[in-house]
Amino acid sequence: MPTLLEMSATLEKLNEAIRHTREARERVQRRGTDAIIRAVAQTAKNWLYPDSPWRRRAVEQAPASTGFSPQMVNDAVTLAFGALTEDAFETLLRKEVGDRRQFHGPRIIAHFLAGNVPSPGIVSICFGLLLKSANIVKVSSRDPVFPALFVKSLREVDAELADCVAVLDWRRDETELTHTALSDADAVIAYGDDETIATLGRLCRPDVHFVGYGHKLSFAVIAKEAMTAGNLPSLAEASAFDASVYDQQGCLSPHVFYVEEGGELSPRAFAEALAKAMAAYAERVPRGELSIEEAAQIAKLRGAYKFRAAADKSVAVWAEPASWLVIYEEDPMFTPSCLNRTVFVKPIKHLETVPQLVRRYASNLSTVGIAPLDEHTNVFATELAKIGVNRVCPIGQMQRPPLWWRHDGRPNIAALVRWKDTE
Amino acid sequence: MNKTAMDLQRRVLALIGRGVDVTTTDAEFNELAQTVFAFQFAHNAVYRAYCEQLKLTPSTVSHWKEIPAVPTSAFKDFTITCFSAAEAVAVFHTSGTTADKSGKHFFKTLELYEAAIRPNFEAHLLPDLVGQASRLSMLEHATLDGRDARSTFQRMPMLVLTPSPEEAPHSSLVHMMGRVVADFGAPGSGFYVERGTLCVEWLVRALRKAEQTRQPVFLLGTAFAFVHLFDHLAGKNLRFKLPDGSRVMETGGFKGRTREMSKPDLYALFERWLGIPTARVVNEYGMTELSTQFYDQTLRVGNQTDRKAVPPWARVLIIDPRTGQEAVRGERGLIRIFDLASLWSAMCIQTEDLGVARDDGFEILGRAAGAEVRGCSLNAEAFQTR
Repeated sequence: MPTLLEMSATLEKLNEAIRHTREARERVQRRGTDAIIRAVAQTAKNWLYPDSPWRRRAVEQAPASTGFSPQMVNDAVTLAFGALTEDAFETLLRKEVGDRRQFHGPRIIAHFLAGNVPSPGIVSICFGLLLKSANIVKVSSRDPVFPALFVKSLREVDAELADCVAVLDWRRDETELTHTALSDADAVIAYGDDETIATLGRLCRPDVHFVGYGHKLSFAVIAKEAMTAGNLPSLAEASAFDASVYDQQGCLSPHVFYVEEGGELSPRAFAEALAKAMAAYAERVPRGELSIEEAAQIAKLRGAYKFRAAADKSVAVWAEPASWLVIYEEDPMFTPSCLNRTVFVKPIKHLETVPQLVRRYASNLSTVGIAPLDEHTNVFATELAKIGVNRVCPIGQMQRPPLWWRHDGRPNIAALVRWKDTE
Repeated sequence: MNKTAMDLQRRVLALIGRGVDVTTTDAEFNELAQTVFAFQFAHNAVYRAYCEQLKLTPSTVSHWKEIPAVPTSAFKDFTITCFSAAEAVAVFHTSGTTADKSGKHFFKTLELYEAAIRPNFEAHLLPDLVGQASRLSMLEHATLDGRDARSTFQRMPMLVLTPSPEEAPHSSLVHMMGRVVADFGAPGSGFYVERGTLCVEWLVRALRKAEQTRQPVFLLGTAFAFVHLFDHLAGKNLRFKLPDGSRVMETGGFKGRTREMSKPDLYALFERWLGIPTARVVNEYGMTELSTQFYDQTLRVGNQTDRKAVPPWARVLIIDPRTGQEAVRGERGLIRIFDLASLWSAMCIQTEDLGVARDDGFEILGRAAGAEVRGCSLNAEAFQTR
């Protein structure tokens, strides 16, 4: 395991990493894409066994920096590495580049990771490997563990490939290091808040391919057809999973569940079932330790709504202060949550009203979970796409984006390659 | 007004009348707090519903610490009174940061509110000037040769960087400023914000006069207004060396403003541009939802401190937001205030500010709203600033 000290970069170390990964890149150029996919998929497989040493190490080491509970890290391993199958990589290539494999990837990709959830960073590195690029990965102090362990586990399967990746850490104010990493890169992939993305974007050369993934939020919609007694327990369980995983830190975490009225059961019944399911998930996978500030945000919200609920029947609150908070509120306007397993349940008359309710947040929308996802709701999904939603999926799958998902609506690999056309 | 309520009001007034130096024992405070709780439980249906939901009622609560707190947000959603709001003699509005709804604090009478201002303000802003005479008169309810004790000390002009009470009748801060100027200000006192604008030219003239006549002055205002003044003085490179004895009361923080500044940075500017040392700058912590203010003990102890004093008719608890219970002493948490002067509204208020308990009071650490948030998911806070 690289210790934090090993990863912490100096200018000399960074330059050495650039040189080293560049040389390694030359060596992998001759290799076929299929072989790379096999190595990466095998590495992922090595994580997935319940008693995998990589899984065990992550569970031991990641809680300290990520703030997740060990059980949460364990679930995160399953989610992140479960997606990296040979089939998934094949589908990705088929969807993005078709049969034309005559492409060149960037020589050097600089990855700036956010560290709030492990999966995007690992996927980002995988794309870099697929493109046979040299990869300089700047981790976040929030999660140095997953990227470092992943590359280490790759080295066990395929050292030549692992040599194409250098995982480093430096502070935001060490601008000389950031400049160095950016100055040699042909492509930059950055995750983080809008300010970080904007800053990095400005620092890039004009000819650099810059891809920034900023802040996003997601929500879920339940049509009245799904609100049956038979369906409710599994629907609530799936909803609680989507809302609880990664303690709601990811862009794909739902903030609000809109529930259509007129079904066999009421939206309030869903809120109650969701609360029960949140409790059950928290029992198995506890929420991470919160800072006083985070806890204060939740306490504030809980206190305000609990007071209201005593006298105002359009509001109801279910809460386990150490674990989760479900707020039922008839006011349908979209309300961003303060995260850490805090969700709103809001009744709506018709699905069709939803786009209007979330319009204010249109430029920041990512995923909408829908139950049931059928022909009728598909029409509705099209309407959502018009206002900026770029992913629609069944509830329960919100946190399991397929590898081929066009992250934030844009191609992943296709955007980074240079084609070689022969006439 | 029924007899019990009037009797209760008299008791609280008597407690306030003892001044800030006569402490209340836990038993004494507990007895009065529980009586006030029972009164508020009986006369405020919304609060009663909340208490019943929590299963904390006058028959189950045995100590003041268990009395349910009203979140400040409740003043936006409900009328928090123990009387008909139509009878209110004054209504103070909160300055909402999110611009949605503002909270309202209704007053059946301003008697308690105004009584609570005086002894606390004297003790923490004018301890060197009011001195023995006032305290003696307070204790013995005596007047000195028929003169009010308050007229015996050296008054100074109070330059207030807020609108006048006439211009801002619904601001509790401005009302309080009006009160203290009437009680303690010398001729030449005045309000220096008009129609939302700080009248810097007039203020500069007043400061120059104070400097030339060697007359100490007392500046009062929001931190934001002072920053505005300092920007102006810096722009013109105007530095003052106000006479010894001059002092400052600043309040309000930077809620919803674009420019923020730390307390040490702000206090350095008082020294730099006005020549008032940090040992003569006092922070006031007040809220529309309360009837009592809290002050740094700086002037009482003789050097700058962030330690706030709690007057005998109030108590402050620091609540660990993770458990909802009282925080371990010295640990940070949300500030909860018990203020007996809020007899007709809500005695126990849960604020959204973070603080820490100290042996002789508490310290404020800023609003929970300013919390740093992890996660790439946008949260409510990020949108509030838009």
